[in-house]
Amino acid sequence: MLLIPCPHCGPRDESEFVYGGATRAQPALDGKTTVQDWQNALHQRTNPRGPIEELWFHSGGCETWITVTRDTLSHQFSDAP
Amino acid sequence: MTNRLSIGGQIDRTRIIDFTFDGQSMQGHPGDTIASALLANGQHLVARSIKYHRPRGILSAGLEEPSALVTVTDTSGRTPNLKVTEVPLRDGLQVTSQNNWPRLDRDAGALMQLFSGLLGPGFYYKTFMWPRKAWHKTYARIIRRAAGHGEADTSADPAQYDKRRKFCDVLVIGSGAAGLSAAITAAQAGATVILVEQDQALGGSALTSSDQLQGQPAPDWAVDAVAALRELSNVTVMANTLAFGQYDHEYVQAVETPQNNNATKAIFWKIRARRIILAAGAIERPFVFPGNDRPGVMLANAVRTYIRRFGVAPGASAVVAVADPQEREDTVAALRTAGIEVQGVLEDGETLLGTTGRLHLRTVSYRNKMGKRRRVVCDLLCVSAGWMPTAHLFAQKDQRLAFNAATQSLLPADAGGLKLMQPVGGARGVLDLSMCIEDGKAAAHQAMAELELHRHLDLPRPTPTSHTGTTFNSDQGKAFVDLQNDVTRRDIRQAQSEGYDNIELTKRYTTLGMGTDQGKTSWTNGLLEIAALTGKPAEAIGHTTYRPPYSPVSIGALVGADVGVEMTPVRRTPFHRSFEKLGCVFQTSGDWLYSRHFPQGAETMAQAIKRECRAVRNSLGCVDMSTLGKFDVQGPDALEFLSRLYCNNFATIKTGRLRYGLMLREDGIVFDDGTITRLGENHYLVTATTANTSSVWRHMQKLLQVDWPDMNVDLTDVTDHWATLAIAGPNARKLLAALSPDFKTDSDSFPFAAVREGTLEGALPVRIFSVSFSGELSFEIATPAGYAEALMERVMEQGAAWDITPYGLETLDVLRIEKGHLSVGTEIDGRRTPKDLGMGGMVSSKKDFIGRALLQRSALQAEGRGELVGLVPEDGTTPIPFAAHLSDAPLFEDNSGVSLGYLTASVHEPTLGHPIALAFLMNGSNRMNEILWAHSPVENRSVRVRVSPSCAYDPNGGRLHA
Repeated sequence: MLLIPCPHCGPRDESEFVYGGATRAQPALDGKTTVQDWQNALHQRTNPRGPIEELWFHSGGCETWITVTRDTLSHQFSDAP
Repeated sequence: MTNRLSIGGQIDRTRIIDFTFDGQSMQGHPGDTIASALLANGQHLVARSIKYHRPRGILSAGLEEPSALVTVTDTSGRTPNLKVTEVPLRDGLQVTSQNNWPRLDRDAGALMQLFSGLLGPGFYYKTFMWPRKAWHKTYARIIRRAAGHGEADTSADPAQYDKRRKFCDVLVIGSGAAGLSAAITAAQAGATVILVEQDQALGGSALTSSDQLQGQPAPDWAVDAVAALRELSNVTVMANTLAFGQYDHEYVQAVETPQNNNATKAIFWKIRARRIILAAGAIERPFVFPGNDRPGVMLANAVRTYIRRFGVAPGASAVVAVADPQEREDTVAALRTAGIEVQGVLEDGETLLGTTGRLHLRTVSYRNKMGKRRRVVCDLLCVSAGWMPTAHLFAQKDQRLAFNAATQSLLPADAGGLKLMQPVGGARGVLDLSMCIEDGKAAAHQAMAELELHRHLDLPRPTPTSHTGTTFNSDQGKAFVDLQNDVTRRDIRQAQSEGYDNIELTKRYTTLGMGTDQGKTSWTNGLLEIAALTGKPAEAIGHTTYRPPYSPVSIGALVGADVGVEMTPVRRTPFHRSFEKLGCVFQTSGDWLYSRHFPQGAETMAQAIKRECRAVRNSLGCVDMSTLGKFDVQGPDALEFLSRLYCNNFATIKTGRLRYGLMLREDGIVFDDGTITRLGENHYLVTATTANTSSVWRHMQKLLQVDWPDMNVDLTDVTDHWATLAIAGPNARKLLAALSPDFKTDSDSFPFAAVREGTLEGALPVRIFSVSFSGELSFEIATPAGYAEALMERVMEQGAAWDITPYGLETLDVLRIEKGHLSVGTEIDGRRTPKDLGMGGMVSSKKDFIGRALLQRSALQAEGRGELVGLVPEDGTTPIPFAAHLSDAPLFEDNSGVSLGYLTASVHEPTLGHPIALAFLMNGSNRMNEILWAHSPVENRSVRVRVSPSCAYDPNGGRLHA
């Protein structure tokens, strides 16, 4: 079980969090964004072997969506203590 | 206790423990395991092997035991497949042997040995191929009866279990010389230390060693070291605690089996450490030679352990076949102190040829250096081919072991990087106990420096102990590699020749290394056999995947106390106690315990539902709506936020009014529905369905925190703050007036889709929404949760004039199906567009919102998608089967035809006078009044149905505005 560094609560068990996927640019809601813009944002992911910036929702804690960088190979968080 | 030595051993001879083996009374002492007590009572034959029913005894003195599996019965029931070497002896244990009939020493199954030449790997699958149907009914049953281990206890487990957590700087796994040394070093530097030991005794192999450690006999050194550790307040010492798995981020799971008559049978520990020192020691490797599985063949260190730790003579006359000369000498010395005659000691260049003895070893044959065959009468053969590091926990987490030619064993590989788990001592092949002390100290110093608890002292790490190269293996005859699974050398050869030469395939084809011991004594021998057979270097063959648990852990321990009503937390609504008084029957719905129906007298559920439905349609009912998610949305950007969140338009919503809202996912699929109420200029209250409350909340939080951080909106989850009771029925407005609110209740002053805030009787604070899920005139009365019972009292008191009828989930469902309202999980099932649900017209074209773009995808806009429709039986009376499929012919009888759609809900006895159903039907909106077949393969019947609008009750909504 991962130990996730929450900036507010400190390192906490993964079971307190809900995964939010890799961070991505949110297409604007200006009526002009196309199907393709959203397809790219939603489905075209790099899924790297190595560091990935991702979101976790601390549902069992401070209810903050936190952004962390995790190495998908070693599970090490680059900003972990 | 015929074989108990008169002196020696770390057992309490002042107390006798009574137990039974296969019904026979036996005695032991505190400090014994079942194994040492059986041996003390002269019981060497303990088990029958899984496949050939060969007689088996006790090979080892630890968790690695492959053969001596038994069923142990105590006050908490029967536990099968325990190793006699792992269970501390307790009063009243009933130990029974397994896999034999009619009895252990005369087992009919032993006839299987006559066919052993046929029973190679894959035998069953190659042989019992025809007739095909006979496999399930006949062959599998016979084979399962003939082969196997103990039988599980299927009765409820009365024992108590618990789960606990611990945190520390340094977790030390294993309390031998290396572990004790590491724990002391770390503790003296100020680290918080947890030391776990699987055995009931602390000290590991130091307890049975004849070495001198730091000027003391090894057992004394261990006892002193443990005493010194117990003095330290920053150290927790846990015996009887098996660390069985290592997981991400230095997370170790362990199970403790308290032996102090504690009411708790097992405690599941979840330990998070900053550094882990793995000092789990090493396991001895037997030789592979004909008859090597006979009771009386025992690992040499196990022999020394039974003599020195338990004061038991495991035989009367012995032959010693130990590869390491020093250990050979030590074994002979131990045998002599126990008064066991040493009949022969094998030297380099000699070979073990075979053994005899029906149920116990009688003779051992070997070829001596002159090439002559010698036969020696004895009842104990002490074997040791070398040592295998217990690095399982290291290997479980993405780290590999690598075969090391010098040590002839798999050693932890150095993967580079920061090593947060450090194997020390025997676990990395360092066998000399003085060296183990040095190794533990050096590893602990390194961890202390990394944790900045100590300045860095670069102490040298001892090198792993080299193997002498001596082997007494013989390559002829029936020699067992894996005793637990009856895997012989010949089986491994056959697997290689049939092409199962990948190490993982060899394991699965032969079962080498499977079972409850997971090949602890057999794996390295198997690897060396494969290397010899294939000519490949052992380094290139590798190993199979190590997975937790290191040794079997009972499901009861993992579940802990989370059984029965404690399985999950239960949420009760604020009306729970009021409903209990009304005789409510509850049901679980997610986390909630929700009202299902309110039977009167001897009513059945169906009768109660019918009565409740009629009451709501004809007069008045009330229902709990508290479980709906309720979110308070405030701020200058609140309206813009909600406008982006929901797909329908409510830019014109006025203060005091509410709208239905339909929320899409980013991919255009319907996510949730609810109401949006405008309470003030920049103040809204939105609801989410019960099932989606937490996911909608998370979604809203993500949008505001991550995607649109510039929006000035405050969100508060007020779900638990409000108790909500809906009053529904033609008399709802009359009741509302009777409740004396401080605002006008006539239909002009308080129309449909509005909200009023105030008090009832000048005291009870309320927020009332005119909104309906039932299709009747309805008001949802919300009050702060603490007023719930007071509100319920008023409603029942004033509602009595109209026979107010409380109703539950069942009636709620019937009414919403009649009205064609949607339910999450049935109609909102994660695959539907608004148009599929008959709400295409609601989707705003005047604004952008979450899901707009991807809703335009061609597949979501295509013709022929399943659309929500209603169904009525053509004859007006036949109930439509649940989950039926729709077609234009009575289908499926010959497994042909195409389903045009399927039912999501069906009501057999609604208030309409005829059964109805809801269904997703291909192109449904263009099929009104068509006659189709609803077919249920489950009920094996078809019903002719007419397609109708999804809203069967009051389609114009006149009743809502009354």
